[in-house]
Amino acid sequence: MSDYFPDTIAAIATAAGKGGVGIIRLSGPESLDIAKRFIGFNPKPRHAHYCPFQDRTGVTLDEGIALYFKAPHSFTGEDVVELQGHGGPIVLDMLLNAAVAYGARMAAPGEFSQRAFLNDKLDLVQAEAVADLINSTSETAARSAMRSLHGDFSQYIDSLLKQLIDIRMFVEAAIDFPEEEIDFLADSQVLQQLKNLSNDLTRLIETANQGALLTEGIRVVIAGRPNAGKSSLLNALAGKESAIVTDIAGTTRDVLKEQIDIDGMPLHIIDTAGLREASDAVEQIGIARAWNEINQADLVLLVYDATNEAEFDPRNDWQELLSALASNDRLHLIANKIDQTDLPEGIDHGGEFPKISLSAKTRIGLDLLTSHLKNQVGYRSNAEGIFTARRRHLDALSRALESILAGTAQLELANAGELLAEDLRVAQEHLGEITGKFTADDLLGEIFGSFCIGK
Amino acid sequence: MEYPKHYDVIVIGGGHAGTEAALAAARMGSQTLLLTHNIETLGQMSCNPAIGGIGKSHLVKEIDALDGAMAKATDKAGIQFRVLNSRKGPAVRATRAQADRVLYKAAIRDLLENQEGLDIFQQAADDLVVENETVTGVVTNMGLRFMAKTVVLTTGTFLGGVIHVGLENHSGGRAGDPPSIKLAERLRALPFRVGRLKTGTPPRIDARSVDFSVMELQPGEDITPVMSYMGKVEDHPTQTPCYITKTTASTHEIIRGGFDRSPMFTGVIEGTGPRYCPSIEDKINRFADKNSHQIFVEPEGLTTHELYPNGISTSLPFDVQLELVRSIPGFENAHITRPGYAIEYDYFNPQDLNHSLETKFITNLFFAGQINGTTGYEEAGAQGLLAGINAALRVQGKETWCPRRDEAYIGVLVDDLITLGTSEPYRMFTSRAEYRLILREDNADLRLTAQGRELGVVGDERWHFFNEKKAAIAVEHTRLKNTCVRPNSEHATVANKYLQRPLTREYTLEELLRRPEISAKEIAEITGKYDVRPDVAEQVEVQIKYAGYVTRQQDEIDRLRKNEATALPEDFDYENISGLSNEIKQKLLSNRPATIAHASRIPGVTPAAVSLLLVYLKKKDLQAKAAAKLSA
Repeated sequence: MSDYFPDTIAAIATAAGKGGVGIIRLSGPESLDIAKRFIGFNPKPRHAHYCPFQDRTGVTLDEGIALYFKAPHSFTGEDVVELQGHGGPIVLDMLLNAAVAYGARMAAPGEFSQRAFLNDKLDLVQAEAVADLINSTSETAARSAMRSLHGDFSQYIDSLLKQLIDIRMFVEAAIDFPEEEIDFLADSQVLQQLKNLSNDLTRLIETANQGALLTEGIRVVIAGRPNAGKSSLLNALAGKESAIVTDIAGTTRDVLKEQIDIDGMPLHIIDTAGLREASDAVEQIGIARAWNEINQADLVLLVYDATNEAEFDPRNDWQELLSALASNDRLHLIANKIDQTDLPEGIDHGGEFPKISLSAKTRIGLDLLTSHLKNQVGYRSNAEGIFTARRRHLDALSRALESILAGTAQLELANAGELLAEDLRVAQEHLGEITGKFTADDLLGEIFGSFCIGK
Repeated sequence: MEYPKHYDVIVIGGGHAGTEAALAAARMGSQTLLLTHNIETLGQMSCNPAIGGIGKSHLVKEIDALDGAMAKATDKAGIQFRVLNSRKGPAVRATRAQADRVLYKAAIRDLLENQEGLDIFQQAADDLVVENETVTGVVTNMGLRFMAKTVVLTTGTFLGGVIHVGLENHSGGRAGDPPSIKLAERLRALPFRVGRLKTGTPPRIDARSVDFSVMELQPGEDITPVMSYMGKVEDHPTQTPCYITKTTASTHEIIRGGFDRSPMFTGVIEGTGPRYCPSIEDKINRFADKNSHQIFVEPEGLTTHELYPNGISTSLPFDVQLELVRSIPGFENAHITRPGYAIEYDYFNPQDLNHSLETKFITNLFFAGQINGTTGYEEAGAQGLLAGINAALRVQGKETWCPRRDEAYIGVLVDDLITLGTSEPYRMFTSRAEYRLILREDNADLRLTAQGRELGVVGDERWHFFNEKKAAIAVEHTRLKNTCVRPNSEHATVANKYLQRPLTREYTLEELLRRPEISAKEIAEITGKYDVRPDVAEQVEVQIKYAGYVTRQQDEIDRLRKNEATALPEDFDYENISGLSNEIKQKLLSNRPATIAHASRIPGVTPAAVSLLLVYLKKKDLQAKAAAKLSA
């Protein structure tokens, strides 16, 4: 099966964060070629080469160590190249971007492990772990990618998609229904629409590249009864680092948001006050927002008072919350106020949900929580961070733009409607990586809904 | 009684699917029986008298590439030939022919009667003989039992057919023919999922009552094309034009006035019609702001005065039909020879079939044509051909065959049906094919004939013809690659007439042909003496012009090839794959995809889900190996 994958994938292989080492990993038949373009020479297998990493224009993006593992003696069983640099999300993002420009494809979530397994590099025991990884990382990736780009982003995408479908509708109808009186292709409107679309797309890519549409970090919701110590936990987490970035938004009845930064990992902490009591319309709005936050959360910390340990039963007390969370692995229990009990600090993975015992007030166990948070949310070495997810979107947009421009040229220079149609189909496939599939049958549905066709 | 001769293949139904199936099976050496309720209607065009058109002609050419009948019969019966999309590039060009019904039927009958190994018997089929979930024969309505190794069912709209004209309706398989009620009941008792679809036809008109002078003349092409790769223009009968007229404001008013007696709008018809508008009342209802619709007035043949007004299919009551027809320019005094009608019929959910068109529940039983939810002669013929081939392969004990989506429209058609099912009569459109630039009318033979020869369905004559053409293409390609035009030469002077900028360096003819300004015609002019066969010159031109795009599509195909080749076991345990959402599990369970690629095409199955399937497949494989080691 070792030739199962004909293409070369790339991803950031290290936890995002400031400082330390940042690694870009490539796997697949073109890894060596791509490495050569980064460093200017052929790396020797299993040798550490210290050298600059350059992009296509010869600009040095970073300096570091290039490692080449020749197939099948690598993690994935394919040719693998690692570029280890100084890290930092921006630099890693630029390196990844260059790798894609050199011909690599952004790895899908869990894809390195998948290749390793399919190429006999992992044993049967690890199969479940690989499956879990694919599953959890694609979920995290989808969530973080959507959120990594500002809410406006999805609106832009929707409008671009609509424009594209509109044009395809005309182009395909002209090809499949030439006897329907109107030659849509001869209509100069199509050309104008194509130009508008590529302009809008260019603008979107530029804005996104400048970071204007980027919000970073993972989202942690703190839930619990009013007296459980949510606020003190929030303060304890925020106070640990003096890195509070944003202010508190909304009213007291709204959700409270803080952005904090733990070892370079940004966290949005949301305190859902008053989740369970609604007595008036304003509160209901607050509660609706709180539920919305919970749905989007990467992690939900359910705080309870450890002095009531015996009576606490999340299955019973928090049914609504549990059913709101699609997967239970996002829920973590915090037994707070252990200073008032004789319980020790610690993490317990034995129960249905992971449980961390701590005291927000005395800060006992707080370090355990922060390292647990870092471990949890996409910062394991194989999982992908926000930049990767965002880069995948931007990459899809750029490739869509490329196809649209190529198609426009075909129409303008050669009046080749069928080639325009092909380029637009490819463009839609690229956009589909962000928006989900749009099938040929969907397109026919649009055509039949808009034009009176059939004899 | 039991008929003494036992067959390899029995085909039930003598329409476009049935005749292709019977001919294909017999060509492959199977002892074949074609069972029809009426020998006189073999190869009948029950709807419009035309073959081909966008997407459809592609299917006809593929049938032809596999030595089927449809294109050959069209060349003998075509009374007007046109090339659609002629200005839009070869990939989407399509040949369409008006066909004389009588000549078409005669051509098909001739092929059937002269096919070695094929018997024909006239009798309605009432029942299937099924033992141990395997079909072994057919029982006719007089109780005669025909035994066979395989059975291909191509009963079209005849299963449980109900014909509607206004609010009146009666059982019928096609105007003038009885439906197959008994067989429908028998099939409904089997575990197939059954649905109802509807289709319709327009009223036919007597040409002697029509004023053509007010209509637009629509002549055939100046240079008449042929449908079959081996066809000759000399085979065509006398050519005759079509006409175009339009509905008027008063037509629309008359139709609206009949809505309350329309079986479609009053809920009498339960079956689903297509999303595109097949009936004039549907068009006027859904596109109320459009104040006129085209009608193509097509002759039904050279020996009849009947006309087929394409565009006014209707199931309105006859009095409304007559009034609406007479409100159309040219039809003021029209005499209707047959009323239009809608027909509702049973179809079987094609998701219950394999890619060979064999049913999943009854071994050796194949379904082809409208019974699978498609519409159109070409779609039916293509399925019939495939089912016939696979029935014969089964008899020979060989693996069944279906072309991939990147090899043929037949592959797109079957894969769409099996993967997506259909809730409306399925018609082929080129936009359904993701590899449209590869699946062209001009290269169906290059795509399929060699495969067909290997399967045994392509005869010697076609095989020799094909090989000659293929060799000629190679020769011409080499010539273009190796012939250079030097700047300032005599040839360059000719070339410069067409080029935007004159030649400044040496160019090969291939490089010149790649330019949008230069076509095969200009190449011929540049090189002077030119004796290349037109179909060869065209083929080479198309290959060169599309080379870049074709390479890109080919890369995409190669990337997916592995997924196409990775089979998913029929008993794959989707339930126990943790991480698959329930929705995706349900889809995979009800579909039971044959390969990873097939699974990935099911709507809603995500790339992550496909990754999981790959991991679990591998896991199963490793477990099996571990178990084998233990027992050894």
